[in-house]
Amino acid sequence: MKHVIIYVEHRQGETRKVTFELATEARRLADQLGGEAHAVVLGAGAAELAGRLKAYPLDTIHVSEDRDVDAFLLDPVVDYLQVAATAIGPSLILIPNTLSGRDVAGRLLVRLAAGIVADVVEVRVEDGVVLCTSPKLGGALTTTCALRPAEYGIATIRPNSFEATPGGAGAAVVPLEKPAKSYAAAVERDVEEGAGELALEEAPVVVAGGRGLGGPEPFETLLKPLAQALGGTVGASRAAADAGWVPYNLQIGQTGKTVTPKLYIAVGISGAIQHKVGMRASGTIVAINKDPAAPIAEFSDLMVAGDAFRIVPELTKLIENAKG
Amino acid sequence: MKIVVTVKLVPDPNAEKRIDPQTKRLVRSGVETVLNPYDEYALEAGLQLKERAGGESRVTVFSMAPEPLKETLRKALAMGADDAAFLSDTALEGSDVWATAYAIAHALRKLDFDLLIVGGLTDDSSTGAVPGALAEHLGLPCVTNARKVEIAGEGLEVERETDAGYQTVRTPLPALLTTALTFGEPRYASLKGIMGAKKKTIASMSLADLTLEQPVGTSGSKTELRSFAPPAARGKGRTVEAADGLAGAQAIFDFLREKKLV
Repeated sequence: MKHVIIYVEHRQGETRKVTFELATEARRLADQLGGEAHAVVLGAGAAELAGRLKAYPLDTIHVSEDRDVDAFLLDPVVDYLQVAATAIGPSLILIPNTLSGRDVAGRLLVRLAAGIVADVVEVRVEDGVVLCTSPKLGGALTTTCALRPAEYGIATIRPNSFEATPGGAGAAVVPLEKPAKSYAAAVERDVEEGAGELALEEAPVVVAGGRGLGGPEPFETLLKPLAQALGGTVGASRAAADAGWVPYNLQIGQTGKTVTPKLYIAVGISGAIQHKVGMRASGTIVAINKDPAAPIAEFSDLMVAGDAFRIVPELTKLIENAKG
Repeated sequence: MKIVVTVKLVPDPNAEKRIDPQTKRLVRSGVETVLNPYDEYALEAGLQLKERAGGESRVTVFSMAPEPLKETLRKALAMGADDAAFLSDTALEGSDVWATAYAIAHALRKLDFDLLIVGGLTDDSSTGAVPGALAEHLGLPCVTNARKVEIAGEGLEVERETDAGYQTVRTPLPALLTTALTFGEPRYASLKGIMGAKKKTIASMSLADLTLEQPVGTSGSKTELRSFAPPAARGKGRTVEAADGLAGAQAIFDFLREKKLV
C-alpha cells in the first residue's frame, strides 16, 4: 500500500461532505505512505464534480462519464475501480461507509485480494502499516485493526470522521478507459426521496423524536422548527419509524443510521440499547422526557423531565430570539 | 425456485458484550446465541418467494459457526426453511471478512440454488461487505437492500433502498439478494413449525469437504486485530425537573449557552 485512492459517491455531480473529508484525509495518508492521492469519479456529472474536487489536495482525479455507470447496478463502478487501482498500483482505498459504499467495498476486496476494515473513524500509519480504528458491537468497543502488508487494502469510512480542508495546487484530471464488460442487473428507475434534507449522518445538530410524540404531526410542528433554529435536521427512534410516523431513512439506531452530531436532542425517546448505539457518540446529548427515570438519562448530559409539547416550542422561541 | 438463505448466529443483541483479553474474541459464554435479527428478514423473503414460485421450490438455510451453535438453526427450520447446511471447523476461528467470505463462498458452491439471499448487516460486527464479496466469488449479480421482490419472467424485479431513496432493478437468475428491514416483519414460528423442525436435516460440512486453495482463520486473514478498548465512558449528566414549559426550555437554553452550542 503506497498510494491512496478515494471513491467519490455522487448523484449527477452532487456529492456530500464525506467526499471532501476523504480527499483531505487521502492527502495526509499518501504523504505518510510516500505515495500519491487519487480520486475516482464515475457516471453522469463526474467531470463537473472533478472540477470542484480540484480545490482539494489530490494529485490525480480519474473520471469517466460512461452511461453504463448509472444504467447498471454497481457492476461498472467495481470494474472501473479495479481498472483504476491496477493502473495506479499498490494502494489504500477509502470508500464512504454508506449503503452503496459497503456494496462496492465488498466486491472490490475480492477483485484486488484486499483486506478490509469497516466503519472506520480514524486511520494512521505506523512503520508503514495502516491501522484503522472503528467502533464495534454497536459502539460497546473501539477496535484498532491493521491491514496486513499487501498490495491493496480497503477502509470504509464513517462520514463526519475527518475535517474537510481545501488546498493543494490543483489535481490533474484524467479519463479512465472503459472496461470491456457486459452487465446483468439493470437499473430501471432511480428515485430520490427526502431530497433537500440535510443528510442525517452529516448534520451538526439532530433533533430526534420517539414514541412519546404520539404521532406523525409533532415531527413537523414541534421538532422541525427546533431543528431549523439550530441549523440541524430531524431524526427518529425505531418505535416512531415502525409506527409509520416518519420514513425509515430517518431512523437512528442499531437497525437504522449511526449519527455523530455536535448536539443531539432526544424528545420522547426512552433510550433502549437499540437507539443508544446509533447516537451515543454524539458530542452533547440532551433528553426531554416525561419520565425522569427513562434509561436515556443514564447517557445524557442533560435530562429535562417535563412536557415536551410545552418545552420544545418555548426552547425554539428562546433560540430564535437569541439569534435576533 | 431453489433458494439458499445465509444466516449468522450471533450473541443476543440485547445482552451486554465483552471481548476476552487473551483470545481477543467475543465472549459467548453466558450470552444466548440467536439468529441474527437482520437475517430473519432475509429468511422471510426466501419463504415468501418460495410460496409465490410454488412447484418444487425449497428454502435451505446456511450458516458458518462453531459446532456447539448448530442447533440454533432449528429456529430457521421452525420458521419454515426445508433444511439446513452448517459449516463448522476450528480452523475457521479468527477469520476476518476476507477469509469468512472465501470459506462461505466455497461451501455455497456445494449447494444448488437459483437465488442466494444474504442478511444485509451482521449485528455483531456491522461489516456489511460479506454479501458483495460472496457475489464476486460466485460470479452472481448482486442486488442489495431489497424492500420488494417480484418474480418477473426468468428473473426478478427488485425495489431496493438506496442512500438517496429507492431504485427498481431487474436481474436475471441466479443472483444474490440482500434484504432491507423494510421488506416486512419476519413471521413467527408456529407450534407445528417448531415440532416439524426437530425432524428436518441439518447437513454438516467441515473444511475437509471443501476445496480451498488459500488458508482461512487467523493465518488466512488480511487484517489483524491489534487492540480494543471500551469507548470513553459517558457519565450520567444532570437531571432537571421542569415545573412548566418555559422553565424546561430555559434550563436547556442555559445549558446550550454554557456549552457554546447556541
